[in-house]
Amino acid sequence: MDERKVSPGLVLLAVPLLAFLLAPVLITIPISFSADPYLSFPPSGWSLRWYRAAFSGGAVLDAFATSVILALIVTALSLLTALPAAVALVRLRWGWVSALEGFLTAPLLLPAIVLGLAILIVFAPLGLLATFPGLVAAHLVVTLPYALRVLSTALAAAPLAAEEAAATLGASPLRVFWRVTLPAIRPGLAASAALCFLVSFDEVVISLFLTGPRLTTLPVWMFHHVENEADPLVAAVSVLLIALTVMIVLVVDRTAGLSRTFVK
Amino acid sequence: MTAALAVPPPDMPNPRRLPAGPALLAAIVAVNLLGFVAPVLNLLRLSFLKVDAIGTLRQSFDLSSWRAILTDGFYAELLVDSVRTCALITGLTLVLSYPIALLIHRCRGTVRTLLLVLVITPLLTSAVVRTYGWVALLYDQGLVNGVLMALGMSAPLRLMFNTVGVVIGLTEILMPYMILSLLAGFGRLDPRCEEAATTLGASPLRTFLRVVLPLTLPGIALGCLLTFVLALSSFITPKLLGGGRVFLLATEIYDQAMVTLNWPLAAALSIVILAMFGLALVLYGRLVRKIG
Amino acid sequence: MTTDAPGHLAIRGLTKRYGGFTAVDGLDLDVARGELLAFLGPSGCGKTTSLRMVAGLVPASGGRIVVGGRDLTGVPTHRRDMGLMFQSYALFPHLSVARNVAFGLEMRGIGRAEREARVREAIALVRLTGKEEHRPAQLSGGQQQRVALARALVIRPQILLLDEPLSNLDAKLRDEMRVEIREIQQRLGITAIFVTHDQVEALTMCDKVAVMNGGRLEQLGTPLDLYERPATPFVARFVGRINQFRARAAGGTVSLGEARITGAGPAEGPVEVMIRPHRIALSPVSAPAETSDAPLNTVAGTVARTTFAGDVLHYEVAVGDAMLCVEEATRSHAGPVAPGTPVRLSWRPDDTLLFAAAA
Repeated sequence: MDERKVSPGLVLLAVPLLAFLLAPVLITIPISFSADPYLSFPPSGWSLRWYRAAFSGGAVLDAFATSVILALIVTALSLLTALPAAVALVRLRWGWVSALEGFLTAPLLLPAIVLGLAILIVFAPLGLLATFPGLVAAHLVVTLPYALRVLSTALAAAPLAAEEAAATLGASPLRVFWRVTLPAIRPGLAASAALCFLVSFDEVVISLFLTGPRLTTLPVWMFHHVENEADPLVAAVSVLLIALTVMIVLVVDRTAGLSRTFVK
Repeated sequence: MTAALAVPPPDMPNPRRLPAGPALLAAIVAVNLLGFVAPVLNLLRLSFLKVDAIGTLRQSFDLSSWRAILTDGFYAELLVDSVRTCALITGLTLVLSYPIALLIHRCRGTVRTLLLVLVITPLLTSAVVRTYGWVALLYDQGLVNGVLMALGMSAPLRLMFNTVGVVIGLTEILMPYMILSLLAGFGRLDPRCEEAATTLGASPLRTFLRVVLPLTLPGIALGCLLTFVLALSSFITPKLLGGGRVFLLATEIYDQAMVTLNWPLAAALSIVILAMFGLALVLYGRLVRKIG
Repeated sequence: MTTDAPGHLAIRGLTKRYGGFTAVDGLDLDVARGELLAFLGPSGCGKTTSLRMVAGLVPASGGRIVVGGRDLTGVPTHRRDMGLMFQSYALFPHLSVARNVAFGLEMRGIGRAEREARVREAIALVRLTGKEEHRPAQLSGGQQQRVALARALVIRPQILLLDEPLSNLDAKLRDEMRVEIREIQQRLGITAIFVTHDQVEALTMCDKVAVMNGGRLEQLGTPLDLYERPATPFVARFVGRINQFRARAAGGTVSLGEARITGAGPAEGPVEVMIRPHRIALSPVSAPAETSDAPLNTVAGTVARTTFAGDVLHYEVAVGDAMLCVEEATRSHAGPVAPGTPVRLSWRPDDTLLFAAAA
């Protein structure tokens, strides 16, 4: 109806910039099919050797498995911890709620390099370095603020009147939550789960401080690999990761809406 | 019965109050205290300790880390270099992001969603992957040098393992944050204002300079704050594209913590980064108040 | 039964304070079994807060709520057994019409066979048979309204609470639903409270009306009581249209223009004088004075403005310093009286309401 015209000059300006933005992600695709033993562009030939290498190399698969299991555990714990907290913050309307919310989302403001160092120093004497519980705890510090924020937004938008209606119809507070509130915030739950999974799965800086040769996550393995060699193996792994990311983004878009989750 | 009814009872308990309120918050507060508050306070304490030659901590008050940062010329230079590089990155990111944000703001429906996906997908792609992509682009045998050589250049340009590579890579990596901040600020941009300016006889350029730009200043300020702060604390990209030859605050913290094992110095440098964050926030606050 | 026995619903000294602000201040009233009572008042008068305290959604700061002899004051909402129909309907968007209506029965652990029968019956009652499997979003506003009513009624609540249920409907649908809700309420003989800011809804639907203002009960009475015998100037102003001006009473009369008029109220001191526009008869000065058993209040004035509004004529008539509104039914044989015409206004002394005013 209200069709607003976009000036061709703006499109001409923006398209190369978008290309610049996407270039490093896109270039990994042709490189992953390279037949060369080292990084070069354009490759002298094409092959699937680096995908085979990714799936046969024990280190990549181990790191991938560690990252997936870690991200799943962190996501589950994040939701279980953040959901009750979000209910308390949104529904109880205490005077100091906004202060508490600021305090609970403060870890997001801290640079990962500082947080990583701080956690390293505390975890080292506790024997938590290069252990699974150590990684889970450190990732939770970062994922919980995201989960809390998305779930609080979802809960605040959930219709209070429907909850009250359920109460007048005889539902106890727990049943109101289970039968009315939870279904209403299902998109928010999906969005926050996806976000927690991605944040944990992609986390590299804090993990760098907490991993070791015995236990490493996929991003940390990739970091060390890029640091030490220039071959297309990381490209093959990257393409697989990008595919995974796009899938998760699409799921979020379907369930919660992309703009609502990320443009705030 | 009527008589009994007439007496109002004292204030009664709230039937809807959840007595479990604090219990609901206990877990998240515990994680926050143990994983965030305690480690950060410990960082501050540690910056006043000292390590000896073999790397063991001595539990006595010591100012050597702070003395090194304040008097050693290397750290002064590191600080100035970091700020200068991050400011440059922030400016570049703004200039390159603004047209994209404006385009997304002007588009509707499927095109808008598609553009948002294009912007958010890199944001959700690991920084390691994107930095690797820049290695593939900027390497001596990479795409950019390949094109330049094909055009007749005799030797490849050194685009990596120096500040140029770090600036290019970080600019691209931080663009999604800038674009999303700008978009949030563009909410104030009413298309009717632009139309009004046009009907009053302003050329497109003057409409942009006199109407669009001033209205989007809050978004610009927010985006610049975010970009600067993120650039200052970035570690992966400077480490990989700088190849150990570009010294920035964040890489120095990592090296001191993991290579030199001088935790007190790393802690003190962390405090310096936090102080600069605070400074950037204060500047931002002033700017926002000025814009109104 | 004695007249001062508490009604089916008895509210005593009900109070709600938010910090220093008192939203509801010592509300006392009784609702008889099967009666429909309206809480009427402007926004912010405490009517919705009172209703929500009755439902248990807002904790009372003081006072009691007793239903059928049982003190419900400390009882949580879900054990109060009240059906509440929300202004926004508050249907569960993720459940079908039938599941919405069945919700309260499920909460009461009622067996499947009975549940389905009662749901069917309730849906038929609100004339939505055939829409059982629709989602709320697929229904029109009026249909959603009916689902909300069925959902509140199917649990056979002790009290039906209606919170501005008609305010989201367009005018025509509102008239229909008004009749329908009243009919269903009377057929089921259910005790009900209806919150509204619309005096027409309160007067046309309800057995009794509680007019509230500033957290206090101004008057509780039948619609006729409120209209004919308003207890306070607020009620007189809020219910129906009224002329008002301030004057000083002496010997039971006040002066208006050059005449003195008599009315019901204090005989001496500063007063608020109120007269309903349609109780005033307007006639040309040339016409013979109206005959009546009782002496009429009669004043002379000049028509200042005439407005034709279809079925009625509005006049503004200058009487001395005062300006009186007069409403007359339009008659086919007589045209409107033109502005500038000197006229005579007359009405019965009983129709002059006098309220003591602050000096």
